[in-house]
Amino acid sequence: MLNICQVIIHIIFLYCIYRIGNWIQTAFDLIIPGSVIGMMILFILLTTNVIKAAWIEKGANFIINNLVLFFIPATVGLINYLDFFAGPGFLLILIALFCTLLVIASSGAASQWMLGRKEK
Amino acid sequence: MTNLFIGFITIVATCCIYLIAKRLHKRWGYPFTVPIVTSTFFIIIILLVFQISYETFMIGGQWIKELQGPAVVALAYPLYKQRDILKKYLTPILIGSFAGVFIGISVGIFLAKSAGFEEAIIISLTTKSVTMPVAIAINETLGGVTTLAAIFVMIAGFGGIFFSSVIYKMFRINDDVAKSVGLGCGSHALGISKALESGLREGSISTIAMIVSAVTVSVLAPWLVELLLIDS
Repeated sequence: MLNICQVIIHIIFLYCIYRIGNWIQTAFDLIIPGSVIGMMILFILLTTNVIKAAWIEKGANFIINNLVLFFIPATVGLINYLDFFAGPGFLLILIALFCTLLVIASSGAASQWMLGRKEK
Repeated sequence: MTNLFIGFITIVATCCIYLIAKRLHKRWGYPFTVPIVTSTFFIIIILLVFQISYETFMIGGQWIKELQGPAVVALAYPLYKQRDILKKYLTPILIGSFAGVFIGISVGIFLAKSAGFEEAIIISLTTKSVTMPVAIAINETLGGVTTLAAIFVMIAGFGGIFFSSVIYKMFRINDDVAKSVGLGCGSHALGISKALESGLREGSISTIAMIVSAVTVSVLAPWLVELLLIDS
């Protein structure tokens, strides 16, 4: 029971940081999503020891372990696009696949090149 | 009142289906039985059979969606936990993710634009290699179609699982660190699961690469979209 309470409190804490990120986004009219700003804030606060990992640990682990649940609403939206993917949208699947392989190849190649330079 | 009831039922049902899907995946463990695929599949079948519209489903769905924001924030924690590895491989990870993001988005925009797709759809394509919560957040900010974005994210994930070995052989990428960076940048969480097959260190590097490239995309995507999509 104590565990569940901790998880909930940690998530509320994460939610507050998310709200702060959103607030910063609108206040400064930024194009970076508020949640990503919140993530950067949390990372900075953790590394500078302003926030202790123990304050968010359990909530963060719970959310990350069950990350998928929160995206089911988005993927179920596919139901409205079944015709689209049966038609011209199919091409987009191929483009997405092709670009993914391109990303993997270029990221891998670029970092291997950097690693090679470091060793010399 | 009815809305509250429908919402409550959808939330409970979605959670139950998710938990079952999770258990099934534990037992089977194939890439195609990941909970997101099986639970989406089941829910769509149920909606189709009982002729429930997506809008009705979203009465409850929007509450589940509300946790996407804190989910992105929570990603700072694994990044913090792996900060030693982050420091050690900072430049290869940064350069790798920057190269992948830049090339992936530019080519994606170019191809989709040549094929004549509309702007909102092309925007949803730009975030395909990003972890799902960040991809959805970027699409909400830039005006993409979140559902399409989510589908493309799934395609990117499976692309990495099934074809990364071939790609690495083709381009002679044989360093384990570089391979993990590529998987994290290109195929997010599914890429990490693939990298984990090579070891815990590979999994951590992949996790860092995924988070770093998520931040990179949220900074670069708006800029590339404006440059390549809207102006010309």
